[in-house]
Amino acid sequence: MEALTYLFSSWIQPDLLFLTALGAFAGIYIGAIPGLSVTMAVSILISFTFSWEVNPALALMNGIFMGGVYGGSRTAILLNIPGAPAAIATSLDGYPMAKKGEAGQAIGLSTVMSFIGGLVGIVVLALAAPAISEFAIKFQPRDYMLIAVMGILLVGALSGESLAKGVFAGAFGILLGTVGLDPMTAEQRFTFGSVSLMNGISSIALMIGMFGVSEALLQLHHLNAQAVKQKIDRIVPLWGDIKRHLSLTLQSSGIGVIIGALPGTGGDIAALMAYDHAKRITKNPDVPFGEGAKEGLIAPESANNAAVGGAYIPMLTLGIPGDAVTAVIIGALFIHGLNPGPLLLLEKPDMFWFTVGNLVLADIFMLIFGLTGIRIFTKIIECPKAVLFPLILLLSVVGAYSINNSVADVWWMLGFGVFGYFMKLYGYQVAPVILGIILSRLMDDNWRRAIISERESLPDFVLGILTSPLSATLLGIIVFVLFTQTRWWKRRFGAAPTSLDAVKSN
Amino acid sequence: MQEQPTARRPGELVFTLILLVGSLFLLWQAYGISGFAGLSSAGAFPMAMSAIMAVSLVVILATVLRRPAPAAVLERLRKDILPATVVVFCGLILVYSLALDWLGFIPSSFLFLLASITFLQGGRFKRALGLSLLSIICVYVVFRLVFQVVLPEGLIPERAIIAWIQSFFAAGN
Repeated sequence: MEALTYLFSSWIQPDLLFLTALGAFAGIYIGAIPGLSVTMAVSILISFTFSWEVNPALALMNGIFMGGVYGGSRTAILLNIPGAPAAIATSLDGYPMAKKGEAGQAIGLSTVMSFIGGLVGIVVLALAAPAISEFAIKFQPRDYMLIAVMGILLVGALSGESLAKGVFAGAFGILLGTVGLDPMTAEQRFTFGSVSLMNGISSIALMIGMFGVSEALLQLHHLNAQAVKQKIDRIVPLWGDIKRHLSLTLQSSGIGVIIGALPGTGGDIAALMAYDHAKRITKNPDVPFGEGAKEGLIAPESANNAAVGGAYIPMLTLGIPGDAVTAVIIGALFIHGLNPGPLLLLEKPDMFWFTVGNLVLADIFMLIFGLTGIRIFTKIIECPKAVLFPLILLLSVVGAYSINNSVADVWWMLGFGVFGYFMKLYGYQVAPVILGIILSRLMDDNWRRAIISERESLPDFVLGILTSPLSATLLGIIVFVLFTQTRWWKRRFGAAPTSLDAVKSN
Repeated sequence: MQEQPTARRPGELVFTLILLVGSLFLLWQAYGISGFAGLSSAGAFPMAMSAIMAVSLVVILATVLRRPAPAAVLERLRKDILPATVVVFCGLILVYSLALDWLGFIPSSFLFLLASITFLQGGRFKRALGLSLLSIICVYVVFRLVFQVVLPEGLIPERAIIAWIQSFFAAGN
């Protein structure tokens, strides 16, 4: 009964209601404008919500997350430019639909299916998280370490050019997280005698630099890309269409939640896998895939929003973020003194149920704003880039400054921004770095606890992993991920992943 | 996963080498924390990570070296890697972050916006002036007044002005 009051607290408090709506609204546009990403928006916003209570901050971020994942589909359909990576698959059939004059239909259908997908994700979150956190209490320190390794490895392996680059980025992030005084022995690590380094490198400055500044700098390359306009007809989709595709929507949502819940994989991969799934199970589509099949639009859109709820599962139950956005949100929770993990649900059930209820609210607002305001949308999307990028950089600088009211964090942010710019240019991903710095402390602590409990014996540690079913499974997954990156595997099973590659490189 | 490009990108070799040297330096630094004192020592974990970094960079370096060198390096470096816009922008941000503490948020941000918008749209000063003014007002209202973010004050005593306006209205009541 008490949980119920927490569940709806954001529905009845006007300020929280407003912030969620604002977040969802802003998220749709942030997601839609190519060059702006949800990760970027959430990272910059964190530093502005420092002084807030945790609930309003969460309400705003939940709204942005939900709206942003959906918003990318708009530009994918209208301009063939996915506003966010999660919308890459959407453009494959969405844009052909728009070209045939069915842009409104496509938008309406993707909005409603995103809503349903989002809802499925949240329901699974509400049902699965309590069970998982109960189970997670039995996790050994080594299991936490293995899950974290798995998450970083998955991000590194599935995005970017090569596994080696992903591994480098992940290890670099983890190393950055160790800078400062060692939490166990208070020894100095990588401080180079500087007092300001003893507190470590601010992960917020890193996030703003890598997601905000570097992305804005990269976008300066294509400043003059012109947008093509589309005519938009009725948006509200036909009831028959929804009913006919409900089964596919639910299946895709299932894929979305599972992929979202895997640490390290998020909406972009979920959408691509759901698209693949739709292609396989739809025997006789009315329109062939790639030429405007509704199935090809519905599957990725419901999956990527379902992945939102999924991504919260490992974050709230294990303290391990499900994707880049939840990595940033977990950073925000740390700042607010919360320590997500298996005990969160026991100690702070209010936080959990608040999040669940608030996500539903964000999903509803996404539906409302998605089906209305198409006129303003086409106006905002034309916002001149010459104003947009200076504004992003301004907010990045101000955001970094307000972390500690010091210019030092601005320097760090700029440094990481420029470094991230080069990383992206040379085919390295920045998401593993962020995941690394967030998970560094957890991995370091658990590694040491695990090895101390085995009396510093590496053979015993390995034996411990191999004899515990859970640890052995986790290790198996890690080995499998590594194995799929070998040349032999790629030659043997090259066909399946390359279909995803083809989609991604579009 | 993206496709590997066939030729090296300009500057890629140098970037990889810098990263490798940096990783080896960090490995040496990590060794300096506690040496090989034990698997649970403060330095063991950082050492493992910097070693992983170094090893993965050796693998990357091997692939980079296998690909043919890019043609017209300097020209492509200027066009693809460091176009003038990016360099100028980095400079603008640098100056802005220096001025932030000294001039304060409002004047420095205004000048930053004005300079960068004028630069990006290639002139049209009046339009840039209007857009910067509008943007700075929006940012100030949203972040300083609504979100209550503390921003560097600098030359303009805004807190005093806000307090004066508040007291003015309070006196009026």
